[in-house]
Amino acid sequence: MHAFVVDLVSTLSTAGYLFIVSAGLTLVFGAMRVINLAHGSFYMYGAFLVSTIVGASSGARFWLAIPAAAVAVGALGALVEVTVMRRLYRSEHLTQLLATFALLLIFADVGLRIWGTRARTVGNPTPFGGRITLAGATFPSYDIAIIAVAAVVGLALWVMLTRTVFGWKVRAVVSDPEALATTGTNTNLLLTSVFVLGAALAAVAGGVIAPQTSVAPGIDQAIIVTAFIVAVIGGLGSVAGAVLGSVLIAAAETLGARYAPNWASTLIYAVLIVVLAVRPWGLLGAAER
Amino acid sequence: MRNLRADGGPGGLSRSTVARSVAIPVVLIAALLVLGEKLSVNNMLTLEEVLGLAVFAAATNLLLGYGGLVSFGQAAFYGSGAYLIGLSWLHHWMPFWAAFVLTPVAGGVIALLMGLIALRTRRLYFALLTLAFSELFYQLVNVRYSFTKGATGIFSVSMVPASLSMPRTGYYFTVGITCASLLVLWKITVSPFGLMLRATRENRERVEALGVSVYRHQLLAFVISGAFCSLAGALFVVYGQSTYPDLLNWTTSGEPLFMAVIGGMFSFLGPAFGALLYQVGNQYISQHTHDWQLVLGAVLLVVVLFRPDGLAGVLSVRTWRRMWARRGGRRVTPVDGGPPADPAPATAFEATEGAQQ
Repeated sequence: MHAFVVDLVSTLSTAGYLFIVSAGLTLVFGAMRVINLAHGSFYMYGAFLVSTIVGASSGARFWLAIPAAAVAVGALGALVEVTVMRRLYRSEHLTQLLATFALLLIFADVGLRIWGTRARTVGNPTPFGGRITLAGATFPSYDIAIIAVAAVVGLALWVMLTRTVFGWKVRAVVSDPEALATTGTNTNLLLTSVFVLGAALAAVAGGVIAPQTSVAPGIDQAIIVTAFIVAVIGGLGSVAGAVLGSVLIAAAETLGARYAPNWASTLIYAVLIVVLAVRPWGLLGAAER
Repeated sequence: MRNLRADGGPGGLSRSTVARSVAIPVVLIAALLVLGEKLSVNNMLTLEEVLGLAVFAAATNLLLGYGGLVSFGQAAFYGSGAYLIGLSWLHHWMPFWAAFVLTPVAGGVIALLMGLIALRTRRLYFALLTLAFSELFYQLVNVRYSFTKGATGIFSVSMVPASLSMPRTGYYFTVGITCASLLVLWKITVSPFGLMLRATRENRERVEALGVSVYRHQLLAFVISGAFCSLAGALFVVYGQSTYPDLLNWTTSGEPLFMAVIGGMFSFLGPAFGALLYQVGNQYISQHTHDWQLVLGAVLLVVVLFRPDGLAGVLSVRTWRRMWARRGGRRVTPVDGGPPADPAPATAFEATEGAQQ
């Protein structure tokens, strides 16, 4: 029983940060049909910014550092959208992939200049320093914090996309940007806002996971592959799909680590290959022509 | 078929092209042989590495430039070629030469299995699925330490025969394999199969309407590309006398794409020259600064956004004619208000992708 609770909490907390990072990716894809490899850079910058702000002893400052990192990375996202992404909306996927790959390389070197090669650790933030026991199982209480943050982010995204004018416009801009523009909406500004939101989400994910991992160069390239797998399994462009994908991948990682530690790291790729072989557009994605 | 040639796509069959198709290989091979006598050992080793990468880039461009397929899984073939030789040496499976001859076969078989699944998806999903396959290989090699030496990799001078580990013989061997590979790849691109592959890039629906299986053509192209990428991986071992997991990482799959795009993916030799620029630039810049990725990223961004036809496009006769025409000279090709840096093949390529909306 307690093994089950431990696995469940561990799965949900992994799913939590995977969801936040891939929700940003899938949101941007949903609105502008562009896959953004530099999303990994935003995630890494978020983690580095949080570690710079709070240092090794985290404390309560952590909860201010996350929004601060999100704002800073969001501003960087705005710059990227206006200078580069805007040129890519109508181009083919090769151009999109290579241009954003180029951004990933540029940001990686700029990151090295700013933060160096040293790996950093971030302490657990204040009320979540210890471990808690639930139903006979003991696990880090910070796991609960990650799950809570992910739930808040997911709920906020759902309300935003389905209950607000902004959300309606985001969905409208994919199907017919011209028609939306004739209603008086500034579609350029709309797309910039979506991209900024996506970048900020990546930064939040990077910040949230910082206490559980070592913050070092290279996490940008590592996370982007996992984030893709999550988003693609769920169906690119579908936020609900990102929830499903993140839970599936987190379960594969957690259970794999427990029952087949040698194969755990290969399992998620096998899951992706099987899903795409059966449903080439992901579980909740709509087929493209 | 006439249209295919007239639009300036790679490797047409006009008379001047036939002359070029004899002259260019002869001149290039002669130059490589002469360089083998003239170059210092260091520069020769650089060139040797470039030649292997040129095969890697040209084989990748069979998919990219000719088939319109963006594969992010080329590292799986490259790395498995290198690992086939490394593992044969480590586990005493077979002598070097047997392993070397087997590398293209292994690459082809892996590509066949991958392609059977991956080619069911299109465009972006194809790119991501091929990426997932190569990451699967990467993780497998990383994890099975007792079998592959994991993240450490396999390093040994005795991995290749003593004759090949001497710089000059290694160089001539690499020149021979590279030239033979490029000639075969070039023959494939101008064969009826190559023309049909280009047609699938330009207009998939029309090719299908002709009763031709696009899937089979793309699968064959994928297998050929996999075989030559694997051979390129074997050439890497001849040069580097080592093999390690990063050869299988997804960022390695990006390298031949960069080379092809920078050199010019609508030209057969463009990717090979892209490999030269890439590797020489890498060595030169890495010697002086730590910002190689920054420079590469900036160059790549500029090429992708403004010159999608790469260096070969900039240097092509058509571009110069058009510039001359715009200066007030005679109009040789129609300049009908299209974006200046957008040659015919690029737009035709985009036309097939227009359905993305």
